[in-house]
Amino acid sequence: MEQDALIFRNVSAGYKQRRVLNNVSFTVREGEFVSLIGPNGCGKSTLLKTAAALLKPLSGTVELFGRDVLHIRPAVRASLLGVVPQKIDSPMAFTVSQIVMNGRISSMGRWGTPSSVDHDLVERSMIYTDVLALRDRFFTELSGGEQQRVALAMVLAQEPKIIMLDESISHLDINHRQEVLQILMNLNREKRMTILLVSHDLTLSAGISDRFLLMEAGTLVKAGTPAEVLEPELLSRVYSCDLSVQQDPYTGYLQVSGAIDNLRRRRKLERSVHVIAGGGSGIELYRRLLIEGYEVTTGVLNRLDSDAEAARALNIPVVLEQPFSPVCADAMAKAMEMIKSADAVVLSQVPFGSGNLVNLELAEEALKRGKTVLLASGIGERDYTEGKAAVDFAARLKRAGALNWNSIHELMIQLQQP
Amino acid sequence: MGMKASPICADNSFPDKGKVKTGLRIALFFAVFPLLLALSLLLGPSGIGIPDMQSPSGSAILSLRFSRLLMGMMTGAALSASGVVFQALLRNPLAEPYVLGVSGGAGLGATLTILAGSGVLATLGLPVVAFVSAVLTLMVVYGIASQGSSGQPSVYSLILSGVIVSSICSSIVMFLVSTASVEGMHNVIWWMLGSLQPVTAGQQLLSAGLILAGLGGIWLLSPQLNALALGREMAHYQGLRADFVIVVGLLFATLLAATAVSLSGMIGFVGLIVPHVMRALFGPDHRKLVPLAALGGGTFLVLCDAVARTLLAPVEIPVGVVTALAGGPFFLIILQRRMKQAWIA
Repeated sequence: MEQDALIFRNVSAGYKQRRVLNNVSFTVREGEFVSLIGPNGCGKSTLLKTAAALLKPLSGTVELFGRDVLHIRPAVRASLLGVVPQKIDSPMAFTVSQIVMNGRISSMGRWGTPSSVDHDLVERSMIYTDVLALRDRFFTELSGGEQQRVALAMVLAQEPKIIMLDESISHLDINHRQEVLQILMNLNREKRMTILLVSHDLTLSAGISDRFLLMEAGTLVKAGTPAEVLEPELLSRVYSCDLSVQQDPYTGYLQVSGAIDNLRRRRKLERSVHVIAGGGSGIELYRRLLIEGYEVTTGVLNRLDSDAEAARALNIPVVLEQPFSPVCADAMAKAMEMIKSADAVVLSQVPFGSGNLVNLELAEEALKRGKTVLLASGIGERDYTEGKAAVDFAARLKRAGALNWNSIHELMIQLQQP
Repeated sequence: MGMKASPICADNSFPDKGKVKTGLRIALFFAVFPLLLALSLLLGPSGIGIPDMQSPSGSAILSLRFSRLLMGMMTGAALSASGVVFQALLRNPLAEPYVLGVSGGAGLGATLTILAGSGVLATLGLPVVAFVSAVLTLMVVYGIASQGSSGQPSVYSLILSGVIVSSICSSIVMFLVSTASVEGMHNVIWWMLGSLQPVTAGQQLLSAGLILAGLGGIWLLSPQLNALALGREMAHYQGLRADFVIVVGLLFATLLAATAVSLSGMIGFVGLIVPHVMRALFGPDHRKLVPLAALGGGTFLVLCDAVARTLLAPVEIPVGVVTALAGGPFFLIILQRRMKQAWIA
């Protein structure tokens, strides 16, 4: 009896130069309440646009109630699917009730004259979303949260079978957020309306959703019940930060929390890390290490190198060499001093040539002194020395106790281990 | 939501204060604009008042004034309605027939026709030539603006390329004028300054047909124009063929602007300011705004023309000068007080 409301079949989509969605497949059944989650820029909005036929898939098909969405007449599509975008703005001074009436545009006659049914639907939608009192105010004068509720009223007046909300509740105050979610849940339960909610509040979504869709970099990495998707390790990897999931002992709801509590208590770590970098490979490392509270030193870098510029901008002590010159003994000696006071040495994904190969001796020295050394994996692809000298060197370092790292998140965990 | 007709609030269309005020304002407008048109018939270089209808010269004067009234109504309505559409589709208060190069293109086409000399093409064909060259210009502008964007050009790139193409068109016109014969130069310059001198009956009839078609088309689109105020994306979600509406709307607006240019030359100001004032007075709902702006633009231009031909009689001031000089301060006051009712930025 329940049919499939929305199906993505191997959908890739995006823009001319940039593919955003990569081979995404999933099904949302009629009457489900689904939360779409994932880090910023992972393609959630693109997914919604593709579902609403605003973007044509590069490959694959999107089906809305069993029909290819590209072949549904626009007015019919609007009666099946409503989208509440992140933000709407009206440059002209339309009143709230005029804006909400736009939701009826596809159902009204040629002359755009609203019937009494249209008026009733508009009125009821405004009552539901608590914007009736604002009906004669100018839309543009309202606060962000009020505008969001007007946008929701407009889409409710459209009477769609599925509503997709693109982070639409993020601007709401706590009272209206609860209210709007309550409205959505009532519609979901009583009218069997299908809801697809793009959300950044994982805890809130966990309480109200039947299912989660988790996206990462344009792909769907996991679909399932909240308990299945809200796996601390999976989330920590996708969001590349430390997240924990607890179950509320009273309500049984899952709660996702970040490491922000630890951050507040965090003092300076009194631990220092020396980064061997170059060519821009160190910037993200510097940033993350500084945020985590490490003292950071770096070198040997050539002047004008983008890592050298970044280190200067971030006030990181750095040993510099002349531009485009091989590292000389003088600079090496200074860098060795830095190694002595460092607790760990991290090798970035820097490409190696004959000029900077000697930087690996810094890592060797650190190992000799019993310090942690972490090498970015995949050095073979970045080795431009003759006879793959860097690869050989790295193998030697590993035999002496150096470790590999793959992602920055993983690196941070490795560094925390004593 | 399975919300059927069961009324929650039975009295949901009771008139509120704002609507009553707008209604009053519209009623006032309909009472005043015929009076203003009648007033324009009393003004002319031959004197103020009703000319002596018994004498042949008197009736000739009145019929001349009447045909200038028709010219003014057509041109003003076309420019103003065209401005409404450009502002709605580009969602930008600076948009007007000139900004997308439409008038510039029409002007270039018309200049070429005028310089080519008199003939059937020069009279009957002027609106057609102007429209074709305006559409070509619009296509060039749209094409340039679409480069590098995925599909639809942004408003900013449209306006930017419109301004560029427009100035190229006017440079070409300048070049043509500077190399033309004295007579051709005179004709083009006078035409460019803008004037409501009646054109041939055939051209008037053709232009009237084109303008009525354009106004009707735009009025039919007006619910869609309302929805497009929230942007192309939102209009799409609400089941509009947004791109289709945009292209058709641009074509109608181009038709109106080009016909106006072919009738009366380059008359500025009407297409930009009258839509703003009408929006400020009567609200942004295009179902009302389109006809009101057409009437308002026409009446405004007719009045300006009456002033232009009377003030320094027998010398006639170019009507474009009057629209800006006389209308500017007047409209500025209205806008100052009621801009919030038109645009909020």
